[in-house]
Amino acid sequence: MSDIESRIADTMLAKLRERDTSLGPDDLARPIADLDLDSLDMVELHQQLERELQVKGDLAETAGFAFLDEFTTYFVKLSSRG
Amino acid sequence: MSAGIVDIATAKPGRTIGNDHFAPIGLTDAWIRRRSGIASRSWLPDQTPLAEVAAEACAPIVTRMDDPSSIGALIVVSTSVRQRVPGVAQQVAHLLGLGPSVLAFDLNAACCGFVYGLAAGLSLCDGDPARPVLLCSVEAMSRLVDRTDRQTACIFADGSAAVLLAHRPEFAGLCRTAGCDGSGAGLMRETDEGGIHLEGAQVYDRAVRRMTEAARYLFDHGPAPTVLVGHQANGRILEQVRTFTADLGVPFVNRIEHSGNTSSATIPLAFAEELDAGSLPAEGRLGAVAYGAGEAWGGVSVDYRVPATTAC
Repeated sequence: MSDIESRIADTMLAKLRERDTSLGPDDLARPIADLDLDSLDMVELHQQLERELQVKGDLAETAGFAFLDEFTTYFVKLSSRG
Repeated sequence: MSAGIVDIATAKPGRTIGNDHFAPIGLTDAWIRRRSGIASRSWLPDQTPLAEVAAEACAPIVTRMDDPSSIGALIVVSTSVRQRVPGVAQQVAHLLGLGPSVLAFDLNAACCGFVYGLAAGLSLCDGDPARPVLLCSVEAMSRLVDRTDRQTACIFADGSAAVLLAHRPEFAGLCRTAGCDGSGAGLMRETDEGGIHLEGAQVYDRAVRRMTEAARYLFDHGPAPTVLVGHQANGRILEQVRTFTADLGVPFVNRIEHSGNTSSATIPLAFAEELDAGSLPAEGRLGAVAYGAGEAWGGVSVDYRVPATTAC
């Protein structure tokens, strides 16, 4: 796992644990619909990842994600563009 | 010498509406608290004139003044007043017994109205330093929402708050930033059928960004505020802005739990509650930031020195 992927995973796990402190890294692979996240959580996660990585994403794209893995792919790609 | 806030008072004469009120439309207390941070809010009786509520908020300030006839202007901010003619400000001036030389007018910039009103009122003070300006926000958002709408019914609330703006030798100058973008008008709008349409996720995102940017502008371009009060739109928005402005090192006020979203009145109501609770000193520098329908956004920082007891 790269440094950026690790920071993304940490940010996502922190968001999950705001809802359920028992969740761990394995839960990042579960469908978002199975997690206790609402639409505002998704916006908050988007903003926190932007802030962590100092990039600007498109909320309209991330709002449609079904898996948290998609955030990783999306923000790694954004970060690589510099 | 500059103008600042020298007095503040509030009025929330309605009945308290708890979250259990919304059970018939399928909302639970837990869901409302999680989604908005709101536990209760105040709703006015449907027939209470907003001019009377505004006058109730302003009255303690006028009573405390040595010379109320010195008031040069009265600005009444409201987005929920239904009667447009005559203006509310003239009615409030009459109820308060203010003289005929008062420049009285209404202002509507939705949830950003108090920040716009502060900018306008402080400018009027600068134009005529001997005459204080009374700025009052009054809202009955419960009359604007569709009370069966699960997205908005539990969020909005009613109330009024007023501040007196006047020059003091010790006050530093105001700092302000403001803007609008009419291309975002569809994000929050009153519908033809009645009620308020909200594009929740987009509004959330833009509110956090705009209020965070406005707060940072105030710190970068003027004397540092000692407290930040954001438009109390939603507890989740407030907590995110608080996180994103934590490095600024000043308190960021979140008083939405028992007030709800009173549109333009949230900032002075929250500020007054903090002062009343003793959470803030009676003098300092307020940084007020807001985002609302329009889109309209802005921030103002201004010195304040208010009477030790402002609770009404």
